Amino acid sequence: MTLSHYLALSGVLFTIGLFGVLTRRNIIGILMSIELLLNAANINFVAFNRFLYPGQHLGQLSVIFVITLAAAEVVVGLALVMAIYKNLKSAYVEDYNILKG
Amino acid sequence: MTNIILLNPEIILAAAGLFILLAGAFIGENRAKLLFHLGIISSAAVLGMIITQAGLSAYGTGTMWILDPGAQFFKFLILAATVFTLLLSVNYTAIQPRHIGTYTALLLWASCGMMLLSGAMDFIYLLISLELISISCFILTGFEQKNPRSAEGAIKYFLMGGLSTAVTIYGISLFYGATGTTNLFSYASAVDLHLSDPAYIMGMLFILVGFGFKISMVPFHFWAPDAYEGAPTPVTAYLSTASKLAALGAMMRIFASVIPHHALNLTIIIAGLAALTMTLGNLAALFQTNVKRLLAYSSIAQAGYMLIGLVVADPIGREGVFFYALAYLVTNMGAFAVALVVAGKTGSYELDAYDGLAKRSLGLSIVMVMFLLSLAGIPPLAGFVAKFYVFGAAVNSQHYLWLAVLGVLNSVVSIYYYMNIARRMFFVNSEDSSPVETDLYTAGVIVITATAVLLIGLLPETFMRMIKYCVSFHF
Repeated sequence: MTLSHYLALSGVLFTIGLFGVLTRRNIIGILMSIELLLNAANINFVAFNRFLYPGQHLGQLSVIFVITLAAAEVVVGLALVMAIYKNLKSAYVEDYNILKG
Repeated sequence: MTNIILLNPEIILAAAGLFILLAGAFIGENRAKLLFHLGIISSAAVLGMIITQAGLSAYGTGTMWILDPGAQFFKFLILAATVFTLLLSVNYTAIQPRHIGTYTALLLWASCGMMLLSGAMDFIYLLISLELISISCFILTGFEQKNPRSAEGAIKYFLMGGLSTAVTIYGISLFYGATGTTNLFSYASAVDLHLSDPAYIMGMLFILVGFGFKISMVPFHFWAPDAYEGAPTPVTAYLSTASKLAALGAMMRIFASVIPHHALNLTIIIAGLAALTMTLGNLAALFQTNVKRLLAYSSIAQAGYMLIGLVVADPIGREGVFFYALAYLVTNMGAFAVALVVAGKTGSYELDAYDGLAKRSLGLSIVMVMFLLSLAGIPPLAGFVAKFYVFGAAVNSQHYLWLAVLGVLNSVVSIYYYMNIARRMFFVNSEDSSPVETDLYTAGVIVITATAVLLIGLLPETFMRMIKYCVSFHF
């Protein structure tokens, strides 16, 4: 296993996540795709730390911060999904079309 | 950890937020407005603290963040915006009394995040302050729970925000891989090592996405009109001023000060995006019928003008951006305050609510015309001087003459939609001719901002002297 394997994995994960955000119709699906993007970044951090800068802990430390931020963000996101679901009775983004112009 | 004391203003603001949140759980509904006043007092006190520390320059805990006159200037703008927003919220009826504590606390925390952002020198620190702003603002946007527009605006804001944050984090991970640090100080001392590293260039581009989202730069602007229309009006005013200016300040520090141009020249990309931002913003604003949406597109266009100064990035351009930020803050805040009063009376944010406003409240119409003229950049108001400095910097730099020409053309286009509102107020009659009253708090905001717009326009030299003093980033 070399650095390139890890970078390839994270690149693929990032692409899948980006594709998911742009094509999913269900809002929970979009949230999951955003999580994929964040995890791609986490793999990058850890892999760079392990292979390029083995003396440091900065990369691993950053991952802890990113995981915490992701958790906080998803909590707010799900609360907002609940709020809009109560109003519109739908979890599909194409139904969210009151605001336009 | 000896100099954590330098973070005192932020710590006080965050603690005040916590206290207000707690007090909100115990205070009776009929006295809940007291919490707004507590919020106003604490942010005004911190504002005073920032002013007394204006000349300070120091590094905090190692080199995580920095205190310099540039950062202090943006903190001043952010806190002023917070005070105005809280004043506008006091009589905003869509916020339920039992949620006032949460609302005020979230606003203070978002401001705290912005203050941290304006001094950030480490990408992890920067990321956390960006998220503190984003998460607080998502909730504030969706604060009118019963209103489907508010919920929809919040969810769109959240999805775009989540995506851009994720892309930024990916960019930071690439930056880390290329340079071995997330700290901008350590990076700046070894900048020449990374000149042609593709991971580094990709990383910086991805990081630019996060900032582009925050200042609603095209093509990351899709959230702005929807979130602005859906959000409670004081929050809209806050998002369009404080959040945008804080991100602009951090962007100036990173892309125009810390990273030397020979290391990575993103300028041409930002120049192109600035041109797109002002043109698209203005063209879309021409067709709007809702005043909040119109001001949203206008604020996208204004971000484009500010980016011109960032692209030029010499001292004149930087002074231009600082001046523009000040002028934009007071003008936009005032315009939203008037929109709030009119909607409070007529219950509508559509443009026809402005028909015959001059007969219903002459004073309100006159200040609204002033704000609109200032946004369009007509002398002798603040917006004109600001545009003059920014476009002047672009002309001076020779390379970016085309940006200045495009900016002037755009200002001409923008006069059409701004003056359309003025035409409705003065030359169209409405059936309803009952007078429009302004409550004390909103009137205070309108008077302060209108005076500031006039003073900045009439005495630009005085304000420029102050800004010349603030403009240095000692990174």
